[in-house]
Amino acid sequence: MQTSEAVSTNTNAKGNKKKSFQFLYFIGPHLILFFVFVLLPIVYGIYSSFTQWNLISDQTWVGLNNYKTILLDQDSTFYFQFRNGLKNTLLFVLYTIPFQILFPLLIATVMQHKGLKFKGLFQAIFYVPGLVSASAGALIWLLIFNPRLGPMNNLVNSDIVWTAQQPYAWIVIFVMSMWGAIGGNLIIYRSAMAGVSEDLYEAAEIDGAGAIRKFISITLPSIRFPLFYTFVMSTAGAFNVYVQPLMATNGGPNQSTTVLMMYIRNLAFGSGESVAGMASAMAVLLGLVILAVSALQFYVMTKRSKG
Amino acid sequence: MKKNNVSKYLAYAFLILLALVWLFPALFGLFTSFKSQGDIMEVGFRMFPANWIVTNYLKLLQNTSSAPIITWFFNSLFVSTTHALLVVVVVSLAAFGYTRVNFKGRDALFYGVLAISMFPSAVNIIPSYKIVDSLGWVNTYLAVIIPGLGGVGNVFLVRQFMQNIPAEYDESARMDGASDFVIYKNIILPLVKPVLIVAGMFSFVGSWNDFLWPTIVLSDVKKMTITAGLQLLQDLYGNYVMIGQLMSAAVIAMIPTVLLFVFAQKYFIDSLNLNVGIK
Amino acid sequence: MKNAHRKFLSAATLAGITLLAGCGNANTITFWNPLTGDDGAYMDALVAEYNETDPEFPVESVITADMYTKIYTVMNSGKDIPDLTLIHADRVPQFADLDMLEPVEGLMATNTDLSADNYLEVAWNAGNYEGTQYTVPLDIHGNAMYYNTDLLDKYDVNTFLDDDVVTIEEILSLDGKLDEGQYAINNALIEWVTLANVVNAGGDISDEAGNPTINTDAMRSVVEQLKSVADAGLMSPYGEDGYAMFQAGDVLFSTDGTWTSTAHGSVEGLNFGVTNIYSVTPDKFTNRSSAHLFSLLNNEDRTDEKEQGIADFLSWMRENSIDWAGAGQIVASKEVFESEEYQQYPQSFFTSSDVEKEASYIFDYKYYSYVESALGTVLSDMIYGNITIDEGLDQAQKTVEDLIAENAS
Repeated sequence: MQTSEAVSTNTNAKGNKKKSFQFLYFIGPHLILFFVFVLLPIVYGIYSSFTQWNLISDQTWVGLNNYKTILLDQDSTFYFQFRNGLKNTLLFVLYTIPFQILFPLLIATVMQHKGLKFKGLFQAIFYVPGLVSASAGALIWLLIFNPRLGPMNNLVNSDIVWTAQQPYAWIVIFVMSMWGAIGGNLIIYRSAMAGVSEDLYEAAEIDGAGAIRKFISITLPSIRFPLFYTFVMSTAGAFNVYVQPLMATNGGPNQSTTVLMMYIRNLAFGSGESVAGMASAMAVLLGLVILAVSALQFYVMTKRSKG
Repeated sequence: MKKNNVSKYLAYAFLILLALVWLFPALFGLFTSFKSQGDIMEVGFRMFPANWIVTNYLKLLQNTSSAPIITWFFNSLFVSTTHALLVVVVVSLAAFGYTRVNFKGRDALFYGVLAISMFPSAVNIIPSYKIVDSLGWVNTYLAVIIPGLGGVGNVFLVRQFMQNIPAEYDESARMDGASDFVIYKNIILPLVKPVLIVAGMFSFVGSWNDFLWPTIVLSDVKKMTITAGLQLLQDLYGNYVMIGQLMSAAVIAMIPTVLLFVFAQKYFIDSLNLNVGIK
Repeated sequence: MKNAHRKFLSAATLAGITLLAGCGNANTITFWNPLTGDDGAYMDALVAEYNETDPEFPVESVITADMYTKIYTVMNSGKDIPDLTLIHADRVPQFADLDMLEPVEGLMATNTDLSADNYLEVAWNAGNYEGTQYTVPLDIHGNAMYYNTDLLDKYDVNTFLDDDVVTIEEILSLDGKLDEGQYAINNALIEWVTLANVVNAGGDISDEAGNPTINTDAMRSVVEQLKSVADAGLMSPYGEDGYAMFQAGDVLFSTDGTWTSTAHGSVEGLNFGVTNIYSVTPDKFTNRSSAHLFSLLNNEDRTDEKEQGIADFLSWMRENSIDWAGAGQIVASKEVFESEEYQQYPQSFFTSSDVEKEASYIFDYKYYSYVESALGTVLSDMIYGNITIDEGLDQAQKTVEDLIAENAS
């Protein structure tokens, strides 16, 4: 299905070729909005990363100094913050993305069962948590994990102070995030799976394929485009995580849950004088990491589909 | 058949168990909104309020000066609905352009745009504000409706679904002399209706839940959107002190999105069936 | 097509609303403040009361949760800068250095009641930087220690309150005497408690040259003492919400803020009083405070007439801000805090004598925010033993030094 003609030419009914810029009408509106509201701010941010700036005075060009400090100056606080933040962000991504992809996939597959009723209701139950404001959601979970007031410790019969020790602190953040995160992917997978023709499954069954075989050979390849989408977007989103660790543990214990975005925001908009240039540099580096990971994901997924 | 029934019951069991786990915190939050501060702080877990009170809600609804929740509610409704509708239009056009129309460098352009959009920025508030300001949109609804339309995520999503539609569908129409726009309108759009509804819903929710940008760009408390407004319930130092009140605010803020979802769900589950039956 | 119709309608509505939104009264004083929560309602009531006096320049109060982000954004664009803002004391040196503030000396000249004599000394001075007065105070608000009267009776330690200062020694004397699940103190606002006690111990967070001094002996000694309280099991545990535990009746002394008295008051069955923050020595006590200060962001568009309008508003505030006490704040206007009516509020305790007034301490170090933030990152970990005190203080010291260096030159 990959048509990739070099020029935009359409042969109309009369057989005449006309060169058209039709495509501009389609991608134009979005491109303009993208350029103004997405590209320009990002370019500004990249520029800021090469400056020393406190948000009020003029920006002073410092070239690669910020980057040198962050990446090379081992004594510097910023070196520490970048590494610690990036490490914690990567941990968050590693802990949550597999779950965020596989679990909704599992639920969607189960929900494919023909005889099942109330599918809409189930889907709603899984999606609605994503609509709760992040702070309210965090508070609910903090109450649940509260050693005194919450049901969790009654349930597992212990008196762990969840947010004060690892690995429990990560567990709290994981639960808090996943509660709201799987609904969206679930909807996309169900939407995609619904488009897969019944005939394919029937043919496979005649060949004696079991449930797992059907899933791997039919379902997965048929939804590979939306699957790719959720994989890339969920990962990018996870790299940007900020609210959950902030509200759950405030980055503790011992800064073991302080993710990179928290350091960045604090440097740029903390209560002291802003160190916006340094913050911008960290953000650019984070962006490069996200791009590298996305490129890797793209490579893996397109290679698979060709093979 | 017996095999079918067993797997069906297993499926039900799995889903019901999960649903209960997922539902529990939401219900807990809901019940907490009916509790007094003392009730919440009392030691030991209790699901239901000792005394059901509606003061949390009343207090919120009565505050029409510094926290006019009803006004905020309708502001958000207007802003998010308009935004979602515009998203559907802009995104479907763009996704069509990136999949159905052939031009030089098409895929490279799309992936380039996608890649750029993945860059986080520490200070993007500042240039975004400057741009919006120079357009004269500060403290107007345009400032909260338009900027988000530049997002690439939904274009990506719809593009992926459009790619799933075989090219044969267009080709027969093209041979009859249909222009790109006609193909877009009559063939592709109906086929991607479910995912457009999903994209519209996601962007509605995204707009609804945005709390930082409206705070920055709107100054009039009467114009504020609801999730941004909820920030105003923090106490002086950013702590949420009155938990019951926060829960009731969260419940109120959630109502339209839940209703929207229920409504949209009905609509696109029907469309899902349409999708499958295409010949 | 349905979509097109809808789009047109939305656009039309948008245009209509935009037109409406564009209009505003040129004579309105836009007043930005960060007063979220219940406090906002009090301020709005006061502003409404002022507007009822039919002033030439009515005030429009704009409450924002992220006010400082908003201020930075707006100052960058140079337009729509508010006429009047309410800022915190620790922003004054920063803002003044960056030329963001217009001194209030113009207002003081026309409205002579806006002067040091009519306000709480520490509140007035918080707005004075390098000899220039930049702000007129609304209030101070600070660390306050609430005690549970029932628990004090239960453990028979009412004597702790005798000299108005509870010492760490007295707290440690409760070792082994408390019931399971009950604690002597909590860790609410523990950074403020620590900083205040550094002052009690004769130290400071900066030296004369303006360098931060965090890993000092005084600081070390304070943190060690706090750690000993935690080690004895007398401090509410790490990760648990000490504030909630106080409200649940399990903590004797809660070191939170003057502004939480209303929240505590709403808990049925909680009997409490307020006193000074506990100290490392019986000879001195300090309550770390901040202040809400009226300030004028630099704005060329603000006319002289409007500035007069602002001055009049501030004079009115000086006389009428008794209602602000309802929010739990220590009102800065002398006329108010010396009035009969004010004495009914719990926070009147903090202006009840000269000694009390002097105990409210506002740090004026230019980089105070960095210090508080860096200390806050490591403090709990030091107290509860996740890292050693030396590690923590060294890290905090380095962090602040690096941040200062970043913005130097």
